[in-house]
Amino acid sequence: MYVKFVGGLFIPSFLEEEILSMDYAVEMLGIRKEFPGVVANDDITLQLKRGEIHALLGENGAGKSTLMGILFGMYQADRGTIRVNGKEVRIANPNVANRLGIGMVHQHFKLVDTFTVTENIILGSENSRWGFVLDTRSASRRIAELSRRYGLNVDPDAKIEDISVGMQQRVEILKMLYRNADVLILDEPTAVLTPQEIQELGAILKNLIQEDKSIILITHKLKEIKAFADRCTVIRRGKTVGTVEVAAASEAAMAEMMVGRQVSFKVEKKPASPGDAVLQIDSLSVKNNKQVLGLNGVSLEVRSGEIVGIAGVEGNGQSELVEAVTGLRKTESGGIRLKGKDISGLSIRDRNESGIGHIPEDRHKRGLVLDYTLAENMVLEVYHRDPFSRNGILNKSAIRSYAERIIGSYDVRSGQGAASVARSLSGGNQQKAVIGREIEGDPDLLIAVQPTRGLDVGSIEYIHKRLIEHRDRGKAVLLISLELDEVLNVSDRIAVLNNGELIGVVEASETNENELGLMMAGVRKGETA
Amino acid sequence: MKRRSGMLAVLVLLMGLLAACGGSNNGANGGTNGAAGGEGNAAEQPKADFKVGMVTDAGTIDDKSFNQGTWEGILRATEELGLENKYLKPTGTTEADYTKEIGNLYDAGFKFIVTPGFKFETAIFKAQEKYKDAKFVLIDGAPKDDKGNAAVGENTVSIFFAEQESGFLAGVATSVQIKEGDVGFIGGMEIPPVQKFNWGFQQGVKYANDNLGTKVAIKKENVIYEGTFSNVAGGGQLAASMYDRGVKVIFAAAGGVGVGAIDEAKKRAADGKEAWIVGVDVDQYADGEYATGKSIILTSAMKKIDQAAYDMIAAEAKGEFPGGQTLIFDAKNDGVGLPAENPNLSEEAVAKSKEVFEKLKAGEITVAAEQGDLIK
Amino acid sequence: MRNTIVSLLAVVFGLLAGAILMAVTGHNPIEGYTYLMQGGLKNTERLGNTLATATPLIFTGLSVAFAFRTGLFNIGAAGQMLIGGLCATAIGLTFDWPRTVLLAAMVLAGFIGGAVWAFLPGLLKAKYNVHEVVSTIMLNWIAFWTVNYAVPAYFKAESLETESRILPEAATLRVPGLTEMFDGSYINLGIFLGLIAVIVMAFLIDRTTLGYELKAVGFNRHAAEYGGIAVNRSIVVSMLISGGLAGLGGMVQYTGNAANIQIGILPSQGFDGIAVALLGANSPVGVLLAAIFFGLLYSGRGFMNAMTEVPPEIADSIIAIIIYFAATSILIERLVRRFKGRLPLNRSGTAPQQGKGE
Repeated sequence: MYVKFVGGLFIPSFLEEEILSMDYAVEMLGIRKEFPGVVANDDITLQLKRGEIHALLGENGAGKSTLMGILFGMYQADRGTIRVNGKEVRIANPNVANRLGIGMVHQHFKLVDTFTVTENIILGSENSRWGFVLDTRSASRRIAELSRRYGLNVDPDAKIEDISVGMQQRVEILKMLYRNADVLILDEPTAVLTPQEIQELGAILKNLIQEDKSIILITHKLKEIKAFADRCTVIRRGKTVGTVEVAAASEAAMAEMMVGRQVSFKVEKKPASPGDAVLQIDSLSVKNNKQVLGLNGVSLEVRSGEIVGIAGVEGNGQSELVEAVTGLRKTESGGIRLKGKDISGLSIRDRNESGIGHIPEDRHKRGLVLDYTLAENMVLEVYHRDPFSRNGILNKSAIRSYAERIIGSYDVRSGQGAASVARSLSGGNQQKAVIGREIEGDPDLLIAVQPTRGLDVGSIEYIHKRLIEHRDRGKAVLLISLELDEVLNVSDRIAVLNNGELIGVVEASETNENELGLMMAGVRKGETA
Repeated sequence: MKRRSGMLAVLVLLMGLLAACGGSNNGANGGTNGAAGGEGNAAEQPKADFKVGMVTDAGTIDDKSFNQGTWEGILRATEELGLENKYLKPTGTTEADYTKEIGNLYDAGFKFIVTPGFKFETAIFKAQEKYKDAKFVLIDGAPKDDKGNAAVGENTVSIFFAEQESGFLAGVATSVQIKEGDVGFIGGMEIPPVQKFNWGFQQGVKYANDNLGTKVAIKKENVIYEGTFSNVAGGGQLAASMYDRGVKVIFAAAGGVGVGAIDEAKKRAADGKEAWIVGVDVDQYADGEYATGKSIILTSAMKKIDQAAYDMIAAEAKGEFPGGQTLIFDAKNDGVGLPAENPNLSEEAVAKSKEVFEKLKAGEITVAAEQGDLIK
Repeated sequence: MRNTIVSLLAVVFGLLAGAILMAVTGHNPIEGYTYLMQGGLKNTERLGNTLATATPLIFTGLSVAFAFRTGLFNIGAAGQMLIGGLCATAIGLTFDWPRTVLLAAMVLAGFIGGAVWAFLPGLLKAKYNVHEVVSTIMLNWIAFWTVNYAVPAYFKAESLETESRILPEAATLRVPGLTEMFDGSYINLGIFLGLIAVIVMAFLIDRTTLGYELKAVGFNRHAAEYGGIAVNRSIVVSMLISGGLAGLGGMVQYTGNAANIQIGILPSQGFDGIAVALLGANSPVGVLLAAIFFGLLYSGRGFMNAMTEVPPEIADSIIAIIIYFAATSILIERLVRRFKGRLPLNRSGTAPQQGKGE
């Protein structure tokens, strides 16, 4: 009989696997999952040790969500085995997953706004007396106790609509703990959090693993992996690239594993050679949704051949500025001139035709008709023009070939090419499609709002390159972003908005995060001196 | 057709144009035009081998109205005579919908076809031409061509009721009962059978004032046609406003609208206020019960549709089908009248209305079936 | 393709459920369905009647389907039918023009009548975001009472109580050729109008910039606005077209299937249009087939009643069950998907299908 030395003991080989498995809370071995036209997971292996935070890293569309869906019972794997605590299991649906102690915190919370924390947590877990009387009191007590134990600081009796997003996320985590989950899957948990809340989440996660919970963290943010995770499994295009000890791996190395090539964090670009003013905004005032001035007397100029970045904390007038320029929102006073021509009275379409391209902040709300095909989406602003239509009749082949060109040159990946419904694409590919559409129109002024929001490193790099290319073709680019890094790296000049007012405009090459941070807080340049 | 979603329930409009006859089995002897005598000898008829079919008007078979009255008459006759019977519901209320169902009955061998309501007039006109070997009974209407010319075919009997006499009797009974005060009228759609009830009622009130010493008024604002037979809530509102104006008794000839009026009266009676309804077509006493043994139905102006249907089938069984004729059911042949039992009427009112009924029978009183100078 | 399967399954399930109901109530389902089919198809007259019954349903089905495709729920087809029918009847009773001119004017009047009736809800939706379900259903009753007033006041026949005067022959869609060909059936030119409407709508929705705009607004009005489409105008135009189609449904009902307009009834075809649209998966050809199927059910039901012991109420329930299953084809779609055990990537749960560029 063959024996092997494991952990100071000689054990027979037929027991080896069994015993080694005991270290793992969850193992997913050789998982394959195919959707029509796409292999989402191809022989993926993920092993989660008990008491660790394990990051699952991959680009958008790499197969992370599918893999976790399989673990949580939402999909069935075509091939491969899943073991929980060393025992092979079949997870037919999320209820089975719950029973096995696997809980998932989705990116979009599944909470009822008008219910209290307690009510949300017990919802669906059938904790009642005599079969029908909800036992909220003891539930509430237990929730308070769990909250204390893990340092979650959640008030069981608060209503969901009254608490912050970060707190809501903790409610989701509590929900899992309440149901005795030992394995927690967190899907992009930091996407909705402020920097401070991210810090707090990190502390909570550490508390959890100290209590012997195991955590899978789905993310594509390398910084956070470095900060929180113990190990990291990287997948690319449905395949496992490898699993690394986070402490031993650099951000660059993980990024390279994820993207499949070297990634530059620094954007390569030549100095700008600005020409004539393309967009001239003259003491523009715009009301926000609450009918008060969201933008107050802002004047700004964007010249051809330059990228002007707008920095600012969210809600300081960026949306109002963009919507006023693109025609989506009425202006109160002030002028907007494009290439010297006043456009403030023009319709949205006329502004498009005059040379404005707009990558909107929310691709689902504004950028795409999700139920339209890619082809139909690619002509959203130009369908009425020759050759896409004549005399009101659509020319479908012209539309398709136009769309295919964009899809090809912007590397938009989809199941059925131009005929794919936009909804079926991953977020990154949707964004690439929108960007492709807008740049393809060759606008004199390209307004890019949060163009890389929610995207992975590879996509971000690609999109930045495209923006710079557009600049280098002698066009004007207005970049609005909440990510200070992005504004600093991509822009030539940076304008800072605070509370609807322009605090100042600085050269990107002559400023730094500290200075911008102060300006974003409303401190004008020179005031501190 | 109407079913599925609750929304469509509102479509159950037009319950058989008029509220009409229900289970008036108390209709004394059914002797009209020498048809069907006793029940025993009808069953002995050997020549009873035809099938009796009916096409309903809009509304259900148990509408306490035209459909139900007609069907009950058919049921009684066919059971006694051992005949097959069947009713069909058309999918709509157009002529095409009706002719389609008549055709279905015919194709299935039901060649004695009874249809309730004037909406069948043009359909029966076409059917009597198309199906020469079938017999048709049209209640409350006469076959008419597209231009409105009536022509009762040799294979058709057209039946009308003297609603004005029924209304007249109700008017007399009401007046004698309350002696003085206001009475009112709520109608459904403004169509002849309803109008005749109204006009007869007004004449009855006037007769009582002139001859029996009552002081009952029927004011112009208290004579209202709601416009549908289905708007229950509307009926309740109309009744409420009339009662608020001091009306003591409302004659409601209005199908579902009348149901609303009855409900309103029940509510008021339960609160101890005075509110009476005169029912229509059938004895509605039971519909007006709001507490054990108490009903707000003073009396009902009846029209014995079931009897008419019964008589025609019995006549056909004897080989005496009066094809080509237009028959009037009135007081003389007991085709209209008040219920046999009227628990809410005083002895005097019962006696007086019986007296008047005999006078109608004898032809001593005639009731106009036209508006003349009456209200509406 | 998937929609076709779903709709066919819906019909099959409906028929099965109806069969179970028949069996439970002690009737022979096979016999029942045989007579149901025979009643709708047995001879040319019955076939003609089936098509005629289907005709208004084609229009109301298209009306609801068009609204659905553009993100609106037009529940007021019944009222729009009434007004369209009233306008067409008014023209037909008033003018003594040559037949072709007269019929063309009536078609136009029917369309405009229905369109006007849907214009108001469209405007309210566009300007004040009033939900069209509420405003269209309210307008049903206004239409009901408008007809109740207008017909007796202006178009009353001496001999008829609850109908308008009968239209002169030149002003109806009935033509002797068709009537003879179908052995005295009341089939009429309406069926051809219906076929034309199907083709026009298919073209409009799939091949034109207008259709592109309207659908875009329906799917995502924010994105449509972003794309430079006049969103409010599109909503109003959608309602105009949807209402116009329903108005034409009224026109073919009251000047084709019937020869006059009736008061006191909201036409059931208005609501049936919703079921027709759902069963037809909101596609024009699907609506055509669904309408004919409904026409067959309604036509054959009476014959089934007459030939069997199935009482009309049970027959009504059977038809209702079939329609119910048909109308809930979305549920069946889910079932199909679960059966296949996977979620498709290329289609969202309940979104109406759309042109795929072929």
